[in-house]
Amino acid sequence: MSKRVLCKFFAHGACLKGEHCEFSHDWKDPPNNICTFYQKGVCAYGSRCRYDHVKASCEQSYHPSSSASLHPLNSDSSILGSTRVTSNGAATITELSSHSGPSLPIIPAWNGESEFHVPDCFNAWNPEPVYQGFLQDSGVSESRITDASERPICSFAAAGNCPRKEKCPFIHGDLCPTCGKQCLHPFRPEEREEHMINCQKKQKHLEALKRSQEIECSVCLERVLSKPSVAERKFGLLSECDHPFCISCIRNWRSSNPSSGMDLNTTLRACPICRKLSYFVIPSVIWYSTTEEKNEIIDSYKEKLKSIDCKHFDFGSGNCPFGTSCFYKHAYRDGRLEEVVLRHLGAADGNTVIAKDVRLSDFLSNMHLR
Amino acid sequence: MQASRARLFKEYKEVQREKTADPDIQLVCDDSNIFKWTALIKGPSETPYEGGVFQLAFAVPEQYPLQPPQVRFLTKIFHPNVHFKTGEICLDILKNAWSPAWTLQSVCRAIIALMAHPEPDSPLNCDSGNLLRSGDVRGFQSMAKMYTRLAAMPKKG
Repeated sequence: MSKRVLCKFFAHGACLKGEHCEFSHDWKDPPNNICTFYQKGVCAYGSRCRYDHVKASCEQSYHPSSSASLHPLNSDSSILGSTRVTSNGAATITELSSHSGPSLPIIPAWNGESEFHVPDCFNAWNPEPVYQGFLQDSGVSESRITDASERPICSFAAAGNCPRKEKCPFIHGDLCPTCGKQCLHPFRPEEREEHMINCQKKQKHLEALKRSQEIECSVCLERVLSKPSVAERKFGLLSECDHPFCISCIRNWRSSNPSSGMDLNTTLRACPICRKLSYFVIPSVIWYSTTEEKNEIIDSYKEKLKSIDCKHFDFGSGNCPFGTSCFYKHAYRDGRLEEVVLRHLGAADGNTVIAKDVRLSDFLSNMHLR
Repeated sequence: MQASRARLFKEYKEVQREKTADPDIQLVCDDSNIFKWTALIKGPSETPYEGGVFQLAFAVPEQYPLQPPQVRFLTKIFHPNVHFKTGEICLDILKNAWSPAWTLQSVCRAIIALMAHPEPDSPLNCDSGNLLRSGDVRGFQSMAKMYTRLAAMPKKG
């Protein structure tokens, strides 16, 4: 319904309201880019304003399908009121039409330069209750909205510091044990859960990154994450052992020329430290501390490669030397995946071997013609 | 080139920092060329090389550490795996079993270990190898001791 305009908090990567947000969390929806100060007649930024300077009448043509068009547009307040219907129900109409209109110009002193444009949410079809409340005197919204889970939490408190402290008209969220901010909504259990999970994941990643800082590569003897170029600041994990290297160092070593009789399997493909043979190297930004973490890194890497088309297979017209053990995607142009047909042959010693592609030319090349 | 220089510089700093860590090895870098190093190693105890100080010359390739450094003895030594005339060393880690995780310091340690445990079956010094292979341990030891006295110990008087 009213979820037509892209939420600007969501666009920046963090909307505290989650699914309760009255703005759209769908990238396909257009962002609201209309300057509300211009609507009121004055915008201090003039032509330098990063919001669009269009008149309210034009807005209709911008979003003709907007639900606001269902209602007559007589004055500012009626525009505001009409859109509230769509977002939060009829209960808020009176509140908005009676309070928000006249109180618009009141902007709290602490609303600094950066907040000055906040009222763009005041735009005709989608006023945002957070700022409504800030602009009105406290207590108004509290008395109107009865369901506690409908009320948003104070975004200032959630960011770490609410200047209004106890006088704040909004719910101050509960303290998140992981990030230590007041960002857990007391009445929205799913949202709390979601935040906790995300927060813990982030925290874990940060800790792993911190631990990884100290780790040195045994080839260049430098700290992997302190290498001069960003591309080099990555670990190369070996599948069979737990010795850390830079991705560039270990790849260079594995691809270096096997000069002076170095054996591919016992020297080049082995770990430089423990000489355990590993068939592949996995790039990773963080170093793991447990086997599960390592497996997770490997699995997500393989998962990622599986979505990339194999350049050797080339949609079926090429021939991939890695065959069925290739990490990349083997799909034909029509999206059909390659069917793996394994041919089992009984070898002379009684064991079963898996035959690779058998070609006539293989036999011909062994023939000695006289 | 840049990578090898950076790595050698790291090793140089490490050597400076832990000069006293291994009293048997004294690794010195050439003043003007970081790709040339010399090392003084003490002959391991309970071997005919005990009491001697042997000088090694390192020539580090530009592809280091992807390729091993070339090491040879400057001090004459009687050892089955060291060429008597050129000082060339026959050691797998300096040839086909090289690994970039080795450092110049650890190569020195490996050479000390080789001195203590000669491998007579792949000799560069056949006379020495043959003595050991024929079981004449005493003959080998006295020859090695003599050359240690002659070449690796400070002259008396």
